[in-house]
Amino acid sequence: MSNVIFKDENQIKDDSIIIEIQDLKKHFLEKKQKVKAVDGVSLKIKKGELYSILGPNGAGKTTLVRMLTTVLTPTSGDAIIKGHSILTGKKEIVKLIGVCPQDIVIYDVLKAEENIEFVAYMHGISRKEAKEKAKILLEKFGIAGRKSWSKHFSGGMKRRLNLVMSLIFDPKILFLDEPTAGLDPQARRLVWDFIEDLKNKDITIILMTHDMVEADTLSNRVAIIDHGKIIAQGIPSELKEKYGSDNVLEITFFEQNDLNIVKNSLETISFVANWKEISRKGKQTLLISFQGGLKNLVQILSQGIIENINEVENMKFRQNSLEDVFLNLTGRKLRD
Amino acid sequence: MKLLENKAIQIAIKNFKDKIRHWQYLFFSLLIPIMFTIMFYFMWGTVETPSGKTAFDYGFPGMIMYAVGIGTMSAAIMFANEKGSGMLGRLDTMPTGRKNMFLGALVSESLFLMLQIVIMFIIGYAILGLYFENPLALLFGFLVAVLFGISSVGLGIIIASFSKTVEIANAFSLLLFMLLIFLSGSLVPFDSPIVFFTPPYWAKQIFLQFTVMGHGLGDNLYSSSFIGTGAEIVDIPIWGGLIIVFAYTIAFIILGIIVFQKKTKF
Repeated sequence: MSNVIFKDENQIKDDSIIIEIQDLKKHFLEKKQKVKAVDGVSLKIKKGELYSILGPNGAGKTTLVRMLTTVLTPTSGDAIIKGHSILTGKKEIVKLIGVCPQDIVIYDVLKAEENIEFVAYMHGISRKEAKEKAKILLEKFGIAGRKSWSKHFSGGMKRRLNLVMSLIFDPKILFLDEPTAGLDPQARRLVWDFIEDLKNKDITIILMTHDMVEADTLSNRVAIIDHGKIIAQGIPSELKEKYGSDNVLEITFFEQNDLNIVKNSLETISFVANWKEISRKGKQTLLISFQGGLKNLVQILSQGIIENINEVENMKFRQNSLEDVFLNLTGRKLRD
Repeated sequence: MKLLENKAIQIAIKNFKDKIRHWQYLFFSLLIPIMFTIMFYFMWGTVETPSGKTAFDYGFPGMIMYAVGIGTMSAAIMFANEKGSGMLGRLDTMPTGRKNMFLGALVSESLFLMLQIVIMFIIGYAILGLYFENPLALLFGFLVAVLFGISSVGLGIIIASFSKTVEIANAFSLLLFMLLIFLSGSLVPFDSPIVFFTPPYWAKQIFLQFTVMGHGLGDNLYSSSFIGTGAEIVDIPIWGGLIIVFAYTIAFIILGIIVFQKKTKF
C-alpha cells in the first residue's frame, strides 16, 4: 500500500503538479557548526516541464536532489512526488525516478551495455527488453560498439554513460545533476538535444545546473538557489525582465580605474537600469544593464565611458542572461 | 531465465564479474594461497609425523582457511567501494532494495569462495597428493570452509561500514585477517587459549579432524598445537565447534548488515 499524501484541497485539484516541495530543510553539523545546506525550499513542479535549479557550487542543489530522490532524510519539511511523500513513500518514488548523479557513478570493469543492463534489471526490465533498449540508447549517445570496460572510456563517454543509465527504464521523473559538467561542446550539444527530445515525451525533468546557458536554453522554468534558499523562480525570460534589462555592456579594464566619474555619468542616462563593478580573472570589470539596442549603446559609450576611463582590455555587448539575474540578486557571479 | 532476472542474482553476477576482472584481487585470493601451499608443501611435505602422515597433511586445512578467510578483505573492499564510489547512493535511488544487495553479495562471495576451495582441493589433493580420509569427509570439510568463508564476509561488511575509503577498508581488513589467521594457529601451530576466540581456529580444527584424522561429530577437538606432538584435547566436541562456527557466521552477518545500514542511511 503506497502512501498517498495530499496536504490540502488545492493540491488535489491541481493535477498538473507532479512535485511539491514543502519547506524542505537539511542541516548538517560540520566541525560542530550547523550548516544549512537546504534552508526552507518550497517549489511546485508541473508534470512534463523541465525545471532547472540554478545556483553556484555549494548552493544546496545536490543536497536538494539527494533528498528528493530519497537518499537523504530531510531535517524538516517534506516533498510530495506524484502523491508520495519522500519521508514515507520511498518504495513508490524510486520506481518513478531516474537519477543522473553529478559524479560519474558507473562500474569501471563492466562494459557500457553491462552497466546499462544492470540498471534495467534493478528496475525489473526483462533481459530481452534491457538488451534492446541498451542498444538503442548506446547508439543514440555514440557509445555503441565499444567492447572495452568502462574504465577505458574517455571522460565524456563516461559522463554520457552515466546519463544513459538513468534513462533505460523510461522514468516518469528525471533528475539530472549537472549532466554536462566536463563535457566538450559537441558532447554537451548532443546531451542538450537529447534532453530537448525528452521534453516531448511527457517526462518531468529536474535539472540541477550552475550553467546559466544550459538553464536558459533548456528550461521551461527556473529556480535560482543560493545558500540553500530559493531566491527567485519563474520563466527564464520573465526573470531576466524582472531582475535585469534588455542588454548588458561588459567592460574589462587593463588597470584599476576610479569608476566614480563613470558611475556619475551613467546615473544621468535614463535607459541605464543598473551597473555593477565586479572582478573578472582579477581584472576590474564594469557591467552596465540597459534598455534598448545599439543606439543606446553608442550613447552610453560616448556619454558615460570613453571620456572618463583609461584603456579598455575587452568590451562585450550581449543580451541579458540568467547570470545577470543571479548577479543582480546576490551581488555575486554564479561561478564565484 | 526468470531466475536470471532476479535482482539479487543480477547483483551477484555483477559482483562476480567485478571480482574476476580485477587481477589484484585474483592475485590475493587465488595466487597467494596457491603459492603458500606449494611453498609450505616443499617445506613440510616431507616431514613425517608419528601417524605416518606428513606435517603438511595437517597444515593444509589451515591453508584452506587462509584462502577462504580472504573473503574478509574481499567483502570489505567491495562494500567500501560501493559506498565510496557513490554506487550505493545510486542503487538507493532504484527499486533495488538493500535486502537484494546483501543477498547478492552473499551469493557472489559464496560462489567465489567455493571456487577458491575447489581450486585449493585440486592443488592440494589432486596435484600434491595430500592425505584425506574419504570423499565424504572432504565434502563435510568443504561445507565447513564455506561456512567460515561466509563468516569472513560478515566481518568484511563490518569493516567496510567503519571505513571511509577503500584503502582504509583494504588495509584494516588485511591487518585483522592476518592477525586472526596467525592467532588461530591456522598457518603455524599456536598453543594458546587465544585461539579459542578466533573463528578460523574452529573451522580449521573441525576440517582437520574430519578430513585428516577421520574423527566424527562426537569426538573432542584438539588445541592448535602440532597434532600428535603437543596437542591437547579440548573439552568441546566437534559438533560444539560446529555450533560456534555457525554462531560466528550468523553474528557477523547480522551485525554486518545492521552496522552497514546504520552507517550508510542518512
